[in-house]
Amino acid sequence: MRLALLVLLLALAAPARADDTLHLYIWNNYISPETAARFEAWCGCRLKQDYYSDNEEMLAKLEAGAAGYDLLVPTGNAVHTLIRKNELQALDHQRLQHLANIATAFADPWYDPGLRHAVPYATTVTLLGFNATKLAELGLPTDSWALIFEPAHLQKLKGKVTVLNSQRELMAAALRYLGHPVNDTDPDHWRAARDLILRAKPYWATFSNSTYIKDLAIGNIWVAHGYSNDMFRARADARAAGRPFAIGFAIPREGAVLAVDNFVIHKSARRPDLAHRFIDFMLRGENAADVSNLIGAGNPNRAALPYIRPEVAGETALFPPPETLQRLEMLRDLEPQQRRLMSRLWTEIKVK
Amino acid sequence: MPASSSRTDRSARLTRWLVTLPPALFLVVFFLIPALIMAAASFREPGEFGGLAPLAERGFSLDAYRFVLDDVIYAWILAKSFAVAGLTTLLCLVLAYPLAVLIVRSPKRRRDLLVLLVILPFASNFLIRIYAWMIILGPLDLLYSPVAVIVGMVYVHLPFMILPLYTNLEKHDPALLEAAQDLGAGGWARFWCVTWPLSLPGVLSGSALVFIPVLGMFAVPELLGGTGDLLIGNLIKEQFLDNRDWPLGAALSLLLTLAVLAVAGLSSALTRNRGQM
Repeated sequence: MRLALLVLLLALAAPARADDTLHLYIWNNYISPETAARFEAWCGCRLKQDYYSDNEEMLAKLEAGAAGYDLLVPTGNAVHTLIRKNELQALDHQRLQHLANIATAFADPWYDPGLRHAVPYATTVTLLGFNATKLAELGLPTDSWALIFEPAHLQKLKGKVTVLNSQRELMAAALRYLGHPVNDTDPDHWRAARDLILRAKPYWATFSNSTYIKDLAIGNIWVAHGYSNDMFRARADARAAGRPFAIGFAIPREGAVLAVDNFVIHKSARRPDLAHRFIDFMLRGENAADVSNLIGAGNPNRAALPYIRPEVAGETALFPPPETLQRLEMLRDLEPQQRRLMSRLWTEIKVK
Repeated sequence: MPASSSRTDRSARLTRWLVTLPPALFLVVFFLIPALIMAAASFREPGEFGGLAPLAERGFSLDAYRFVLDDVIYAWILAKSFAVAGLTTLLCLVLAYPLAVLIVRSPKRRRDLLVLLVILPFASNFLIRIYAWMIILGPLDLLYSPVAVIVGMVYVHLPFMILPLYTNLEKHDPALLEAAQDLGAGGWARFWCVTWPLSLPGVLSGSALVFIPVLGMFAVPELLGGTGDLLIGNLIKEQFLDNRDWPLGAALSLLLTLAVLAVAGLSSALTRNRGQM
């Protein structure tokens, strides 16, 4: 009898060991294959990744009942949503020995004070990418939102500017240019931002969320409102293709939107043990640095800096100095009624 | 033999049931139920995190409809989308008709190859084909313009016009045209009095297959359109994906469905009237 029990136990245990797999639901191209292989070798388990392309997609899939993901990598506002919906497991800081590597600026975020659920992994700034050669020829400034909002500048750029096809991001840029915070909810300020956008819109080529990388890199577009890692990619693409111009990017001096992506453990996680080991592994400087070297992401991990290639770490738009960092704000979610008003203004912007 | 005839009756009825049940079930599960869910969602309030607010707390409301109907901007977008869909359908028809005639008149052994060529673009991914158009239109200075949207829409939907026209035209009896010729009808008269009226069912089904998907299409205006090319499909997509306002999106979809049904009803009434004349 005891033997039978032992055999049964072994039978149950064997597949469990074979199933030492950590399921990660993450942005596409956010962990280099080398990092993943190093983790698998170190932990003696398997890492399986599924991909999403924006937070809404990830939240919608979880809402629809997707289970079996141990780790997610949401942006700050989505972390906030998940915490309030009680969808996350609290982190066991005892098991995260390298947590102190997180820079102080990121260690106590509004969306999760004290990092009780989330560990910051990578940052992105919404900024302006530009054809530096062309803008120098035209004698235009590259450090202000005026470049995409002021008709005096835009007259020289007609049809050569794209802006993000995102109501929150574009409104945030306009609000900052008008001297308001990105999370301002005053309808009068929103209307002023709408008017600013409508005045500039005739000079823009299109609203674009992804094609601007290609358009900048081949020279179709001279100025793009978009994400820092995309601009990094456009610059690398233009260099690799030997274009006769250089791509640059800079954070406008009026301030901009900062996005911080975090590791969090979903409540349906089957392997919180592996998830903790993974997070701690990624907190080590040499591993944390990989995402910056891979895609030009900013890095909230101070131990990572020595491992980041100098041309990435020296880029102030990716690693902003403290005085610039102070002018960066994270987007927070709006209330349903506010979303409806914002959408109404956005529709007007699109149609007029 | 009343007994045996009633048995064949019954088995015929059973066969009819068995044949019509799967498609009916399909329509109920994949059209009727989602449509009802959509209708119900449009009378709810948006949830804090997207989705819908709890029914127990917020109940039903007409807010979404009030919001859409109070504001001329949504009617304007709907009208513009109908115009784009109408223009696309017309251009598809003008391009597809001669081609379909050509295919029907070509030697039988070559027809299959020509039809295959018409559907060949489907072998590659939709997005890749749209990106190809970006490369073509970019140097022509047409990218990110209303023209690019129409070009993309026509390109994507052309096969849906060609195929129904081809199936229809293929069935025409050549003897009718010969008879018309014998009676002295010229080329145009033969076309307008014989071929065109006979092809109307093909024209109508092709038009429906183009018009309705174009109304809902959001990828083409998003990728090829400029700063002003927002269509009703984009607006609905934004409510669900970017704005997390399901009730508003549901109300807009429902109004779109009603508008499409109205157009379909109108056109079928028109053709019926013509049939009676």
